Amino acid sequence: MADTLPPLDKVDPAQAWQPWQPSDKEPWDLKWAGHLYRRAAFGGSPAELKSAVEKGHAATLDLLLSGQPGAARLTDFLNAEGVKIAKRFNPNSGFGEVKPEPHEVRAWWLYVMLNSGHPFREKMTLFWHNHFATSIAKVTYAVPMVRQNILLRKHALGKFGPFLLEMSKDPAMLIWLDSNSNLKGHPNENYAREVMELFSLGVGNYTEKDIQEAARAFTGWHTDGEAFEFNARAHDDGEKSVLGTKGNLDGGDVVGILLKQPACARFLVRKLYTFFVSETEAPPDALIEPLCEQLRKSDYDVAALMKTMLSSRHFYSGHAYRQRIKWPVELVLGTAKAVAEKTIPQQVFVTRMEAMGQQLFAPPNVKGWPGSQAWLNTSTVLARQNFGQAVAMGNVWNESLPGGPQFAQTIDFVEVEGPGGQPIKTPGLPEEPAPAAAYDPARLIRQANADTPEKAVRVLIDALLPGGISPAKEQKLAAFLAAGDPKSRDRRVREAAHAILCMPEYQLA
Amino acid sequence: MLNRREVLARTLKGSALLSLGTVVPQFVANTAAAAEKGKDNILVVIELNGGNDGLNTVIPYTDDLYHKNRPTLRQTREQVVRVTDDIGLNAGLRNLEPMLANLAIVQGVGYPNPDRSHFESMDIWQSADPRRKVGTGWLARSGPQLTDVQGGIPMMHVGQGQLPLALKGATSGAISVNNKMPYRLDLGGGSDEQHKARRSLIETLGQVEGSEDDASMLQFVQRRQVQTLTTLDRLQEVLRNGNRAGDQQWYYGRNYGPKSLPNKLNLVAQLIQRDFGTRVFYVMRDDFDTHSNQAEPHKGLMEEIAAGIRQMYDVLRQSGNDKRVRVLTYSEFGRRVKENESKGTDHGAASNLFVAGPSVKGGVIGAHPKLDDLDDGDLKFHTDFRRVYAALLEGWLGISSETVLQGKFQPLPQLMEKV
Repeated sequence: MADTLPPLDKVDPAQAWQPWQPSDKEPWDLKWAGHLYRRAAFGGSPAELKSAVEKGHAATLDLLLSGQPGAARLTDFLNAEGVKIAKRFNPNSGFGEVKPEPHEVRAWWLYVMLNSGHPFREKMTLFWHNHFATSIAKVTYAVPMVRQNILLRKHALGKFGPFLLEMSKDPAMLIWLDSNSNLKGHPNENYAREVMELFSLGVGNYTEKDIQEAARAFTGWHTDGEAFEFNARAHDDGEKSVLGTKGNLDGGDVVGILLKQPACARFLVRKLYTFFVSETEAPPDALIEPLCEQLRKSDYDVAALMKTMLSSRHFYSGHAYRQRIKWPVELVLGTAKAVAEKTIPQQVFVTRMEAMGQQLFAPPNVKGWPGSQAWLNTSTVLARQNFGQAVAMGNVWNESLPGGPQFAQTIDFVEVEGPGGQPIKTPGLPEEPAPAAAYDPARLIRQANADTPEKAVRVLIDALLPGGISPAKEQKLAAFLAAGDPKSRDRRVREAAHAILCMPEYQLA
Repeated sequence: MLNRREVLARTLKGSALLSLGTVVPQFVANTAAAAEKGKDNILVVIELNGGNDGLNTVIPYTDDLYHKNRPTLRQTREQVVRVTDDIGLNAGLRNLEPMLANLAIVQGVGYPNPDRSHFESMDIWQSADPRRKVGTGWLARSGPQLTDVQGGIPMMHVGQGQLPLALKGATSGAISVNNKMPYRLDLGGGSDEQHKARRSLIETLGQVEGSEDDASMLQFVQRRQVQTLTTLDRLQEVLRNGNRAGDQQWYYGRNYGPKSLPNKLNLVAQLIQRDFGTRVFYVMRDDFDTHSNQAEPHKGLMEEIAAGIRQMYDVLRQSGNDKRVRVLTYSEFGRRVKENESKGTDHGAASNLFVAGPSVKGGVIGAHPKLDDLDDGDLKFHTDFRRVYAALLEGWLGISSETVLQGKFQPLPQLMEKV
């Protein structure tokens, strides 16, 4: 299936973003439903995908973009729960170099991702979390981090101008970028630099002087840790010049100036493209220009932009299909949704995600998680595959928050040498007991009445890898199932599920 | 005691990976030959992430301007670790005092048109390209010349977190290692036979497809997986008896956790001893971005650096591996000369770095940048960092530096010497 795709610079920008219409040649089916759910949400359960295919593309997209009816009412409650949980976190409760971790807060957000009724909004919140990357490692307290998360959720699908302005006053952000040290006569450039470099324009679209002047404009924008405080005495109210605009500028003025720069739309569109469309090839300026224009003309309306992006021909093409690598959070939640029929105890995922290189509320630095190929090194590939084992066998659901039993160490099966140099096999462990049906991949086979190895493989692939794999690989899986002892068919199915979760295709979003 | 080739052959017996031919990474090659003499030196690179305050690391303690500019952060003549009549080290580096004869302190290091953004400047140091046009790391580009004929893993990043840019783009792949994870594909319960069948299925389904120059996302993931599984087999052998001690360890009078330099460098020493054929190890420590209340945290980091280097050589000395290992410390920039209002310092430019090890001719290399001749409040550099790299590539790793650095840089003579 080698690339019959034209390179991106041959894709017509005027056509790429037109709405996609399913056709006989390219129908709305499990492949595209799975793709949309992986991108606009955290994957779809078999039931959700089946319903999506039946409802049709337009209705499914609409549901994802708008959320379930009633989701809005749930938001306040979920946010309040988050603050309550955050208040319980005491960063001073560790000893030595061991710092306590806010895992409960992480589990809370995972819960929201799974249960808010508006997973697309949570996906956008996750995007913004990585965009305005702020880490609890420095902010220390969980309450400002959760309040920032609530702010991200509030503006996730809103207009970027007011969002950037509120973010410039967010206590967690102010702590993170040392804004309390930004004083008249003694500016601290941290926020001014990052707001240009990482939050709006990108490198090369401003000068050091612009940063210095912008820093002066933001002086006095402080926090007491709980709320924004304008410290008038610390504010430099002199004449400043930022990106060609002169005046007694303050932080709000700087935000306005940033949004007027053509580079701002390009910067944001590129980031959204990379996260939602493809990481494989950076899009040429010409290709994204229609989206940039839309953003500028709509006063930076992000929801409208995302609707265009997620309805487009380009999105439903080989240029986007499986052209991203799943973030750890996408992998764990998507796998859980595919396999589990009941409430998912999401706190078990927190340490699993950590092993894969992602801890919510703790991006590595203000640039965020780089994503794409950076997610995969020896340790993290192994973490993903071992997670697959734990899900397939059903033991992952028994893992509690850290402090409780961790995921199991296993006995080595490599041959060791006896005294005479002859190899000795180490004893095998007994097989894991079957998991509860609601968490058992073998349940899917039973529910579908799949009575041949080929049908069983098809059921697993439709649940885990909608869109399919090559016939040759499907054959290999069927042969594996067929070779098993018929008395332990369920066990064999779980092993096949694990093998699927280890496939390179499974890492692709 | 099995030799390396036998271990390799055993662990890969029956593995589908052996049938992959040319797409199998170098380290699965099953030739065995002794390492060429002098071609087995090792470089351990320590990245100080965040912009280490060079001025408070290597201190011009007799310079009044130093004391004037650092009213709360300065260290006095009595506090510093004396190196020469004008230069001393931060008091936190006390444990390096016994090693001063083998500690080269390179002053005034940087590059033209300094970039004060963490990410840009770190990219510059790691790609060795101030124009930032190159997307690969300098160490990665050394890879082809470093490949171990025994099929070893030429470069390892020891730590959690992603592979640093310095190691990115290595065609044989560089791997990340840390001792918190059981390094094994978990196949749970069941018999040996069952495990073999499952392992075989996973490998078959993960084979690399397509041609060598296929740049697809799928092929990238396939390569990564093959690399992972083959590496794990080998690493399993090595780490089985390795460092399984608890998370907290005592090094040089303090308790340190897994993210600390002493802990990481201790693991590096273990890996070196078990002879993976690795020529470059890379560790990172962050928290150097000390914009406020710098004194205590910075001193703590200095202590870590000293304890880490000492610990590593303590372990290596036991197996006689110490002489073949050198350490390089570096940071993406130094910090401003004048301390700021928050008892910290902001991003600067030129700084200093260390090259240490029993083979190193110790001493101060280059003059301390003048504190009264600044570039917009920052120290000026006089030694391009690529001259340090060139010296280590040519003089220590024994490889040509021109293609790696994409240009000719005269290696710093003092670093070319060996004691």
